[in-house]
Amino acid sequence: MRNALAGIERSLFLTLVFAAFAAAMAGLMARAVDRIADAYERSRSDYAVVRVLAPEGPEGLARAETALNNSPYVISAAPMSASRAAALLGQWAGQAVRAEDLPPLRLVEIELAPTTAGLDIHAELVAVLAQNGVTGEVIGASEETAGAGVAHRISVAAGWGAAAFALIMALIVALGARSLAARKRELVTVLTDLGATRGRAAGQVGDEAAIIGLYAGLLGAALAAAASAALLLLAIPGLGLGAMHEVILPIDYAPLIAAPLGCALAAGIGARTAASNFFAQASRLT
Amino acid sequence: MPRSNSPELDLFERGVLVRLTQVDAGYRSGDVLRGIEFEVNRSEVALVTGPAAAGKTTLIHLLRLALQPTAGRAVILGADARRLNMTWRARLKRHIGYVAENPSFIENWSAYENIALPLKLMGRKPAEYAPDVQELVEFVGLNADAGTLASQLSGAQRRRAAIARALAGKPDLILADDPTAGMSPADGKRIVRLLAEMRRVGAAIVITSQDQGLAEVAPTTSWRLERGRLTPVSAVEDAEDYEAT
Repeated sequence: MRNALAGIERSLFLTLVFAAFAAAMAGLMARAVDRIADAYERSRSDYAVVRVLAPEGPEGLARAETALNNSPYVISAAPMSASRAAALLGQWAGQAVRAEDLPPLRLVEIELAPTTAGLDIHAELVAVLAQNGVTGEVIGASEETAGAGVAHRISVAAGWGAAAFALIMALIVALGARSLAARKRELVTVLTDLGATRGRAAGQVGDEAAIIGLYAGLLGAALAAAASAALLLLAIPGLGLGAMHEVILPIDYAPLIAAPLGCALAAGIGARTAASNFFAQASRLT
Repeated sequence: MPRSNSPELDLFERGVLVRLTQVDAGYRSGDVLRGIEFEVNRSEVALVTGPAAAGKTTLIHLLRLALQPTAGRAVILGADARRLNMTWRARLKRHIGYVAENPSFIENWSAYENIALPLKLMGRKPAEYAPDVQELVEFVGLNADAGTLASQLSGAQRRRAAIARALAGKPDLILADDPTAGMSPADGKRIVRLLAEMRRVGAAIVITSQDQGLAEVAPTTSWRLERGRLTPVSAVEDAEDYEAT
């Protein structure tokens, strides 16, 4: 390793470290986007609003709240306050809405419990309300207006973007490793003259490059892990190490493991291909 | 490698390690060697002399299977050089010891490690090859410098290390391209004697040089190469005379 990192190889090593770092960061970002999108989708599908049609007035709201809170499909139910409605409307309209300007509300916000697939939860809730003498309708998040599927598409786009970026970094690593192979041309020539096969001569150079790639990849991934932790600390005030552990680990092992392995693989393949060409040239003069 | 009962293998078994018949060879720019007729037998030392740019190095490249004949037939160690694929060529090369005019080494390895490389390639372990390498180091007189990095060896030491490396695999055919170039006459003669010693273990040795006087150092068949044409000069000197030297 000491010999491998002499002179020009040191700058090549740093290039590989940067490539692995960038690829790992891209992977971490994609995974973060995926996780945020997933959380958003889950919260969107867990939320609904019940509009009480009859009986009118506070009595209808109270009966609906009680009925919904007793339902196994509902985690919590609470009448929507005027100030909350004003805040939501203001967010939607893009301008401030005063709570006192709103008419009396007949809305109950509910957080839905996870249910089995195929169950029409809205119909079940309407039936629960009817059993308690309340006529109401359940308003779920609209597929179009609440961005259903958009989060998923963003997540997929981020994933493909990170994969494409990682591929470009792998190409940079492979090209960098070719220059390492050029430095080892003398070794390939000697091995060729001594009767080594193409696999042996090229493999020797490829293996050395793969080991350097692995070390560079490990360092790059470690730097990416440190950088992402620093970003989390900046983005989430008061985040402790324990909480960070919870935030990072479920999502971030994959890029941190893939970066060194990918870096080693790309370096090995790049160097091996170049060494193979050198072997052919040394083996047969023209 | 030749098929069993092939005419090429038959030649090899009869002790003819090299036979070139009407061989032309060269590079993209054109043929350097023309109509070469050349034969070397087991335990024979062939000395090919000629002026610069006569084609000596091209002849060595042809014999070490780095060049293919463009015409004629080259049978080397029982194989037709034009029919060898890359894998078989590599395998055959392990039976050829090659000492280049400017030998290539793995410069950040010691002389000892470079000499041991052919044995490593054969899959032998350090404990197994250590006595053989030590013997070679002593044979070429590199005892004191075996641990020196190749990059720090002098020209003469590099030549000796290259000879030791070429002999390490116990080759059937040893090729030395102008091994005495840049050396004092005494050192040059010593190098040729070292190479010629290998005839005792049945190897054939081909040495190219500009110095015709080397024929007096060891019993050789002498050839003259000029402008790509090879002609025999003399038969083998009396071995007893050689012993006396």
